[in-house]
Amino acid sequence: MQQTQRRLGLYFTVSSALVLLFSQNTFSATADTFDINRYSTLGAGMFETFYVEQTQTLQRALEHELVSADTSLLVTNTAEGNLALIRDQMSFHHIAQGKANGLEWMATF
Amino acid sequence: MTGEGLAGEHAGYKMPLSNLLHMNVGQALAMDSAMVIAISERPFNSRRGRRMRSSRFSANGANAQLRPMFVQTLGDEDTRRDRMDMGLGVWNENMQKYYPVAVLREKGNYLLDEINGQKLLVFLDPLTSTPTALYWDTDDVTIDGRNIALSNGFTIQYGQIYNSGGDLVAVEKPQQIFTRWYGFSLSFPNPDIFE
Repeated sequence: MQQTQRRLGLYFTVSSALVLLFSQNTFSATADTFDINRYSTLGAGMFETFYVEQTQTLQRALEHELVSADTSLLVTNTAEGNLALIRDQMSFHHIAQGKANGLEWMATF
Repeated sequence: MTGEGLAGEHAGYKMPLSNLLHMNVGQALAMDSAMVIAISERPFNSRRGRRMRSSRFSANGANAQLRPMFVQTLGDEDTRRDRMDMGLGVWNENMQKYYPVAVLREKGNYLLDEINGQKLLVFLDPLTSTPTALYWDTDDVTIDGRNIALSNGFTIQYGQIYNSGGDLVAVEKPQQIFTRWYGFSLSFPNPDIFE
């Protein structure tokens, strides 16, 4: 997963379980049309991927004042249900990834 | 953004996508009271309005710019919109369309469209000021403070649709991303633009 992330830099996905299917999409930039010369390692190490190993209920985080009612979130769906990430933190990490019910997921921002 | 591996051993393979939606904690709990959260060690501001100081290169700055090191990776840009223009990109297998936030504001913070025969409501959320798109057929939209009134007694509160009896209504959302123009137009060359 980390290897894939390094190879593709910021050009991967929004959020998903890692189940690979061959793409039939002809409307977006694809492996056939992507100019690999655009790839750069200049930004390598500038951001740190958030490897998610622990979660807690959002309600608990609110009750313990870890977040407030108007804290900005990014919400996605994994194999275990809805997952919230802190938007300010994702502005730094840009990528969060983890595993839910045995399926890898990744969120990019 | 597309989920497709563009180079390397997984080039040509694609991961299934799901949305990454903007909302606040109150809205998230209204959507799913059992939702979980992952918090990293990175410092953050827990309250809206107490934003971290932004530079011209930060995503939050009003006059944000892309660092030169990233500009050189962009390739040929679509100049129909400014590079850093913000909007909501919506796409499926048959279409890709960009809804500029500026156009949304001009039209009263919402607009109605149609995608593949399905009615689409795009609106700026009154709580987070972020655009959201959902499949919903309505003749009337009235934004009143934090709530949005729709036809036939339906309302949007905390980002969720409720019927006149106050029951939560499940709504389908298209694949969407709140993004800069350069990101959307480079991922989906020559997308339609709502004007």
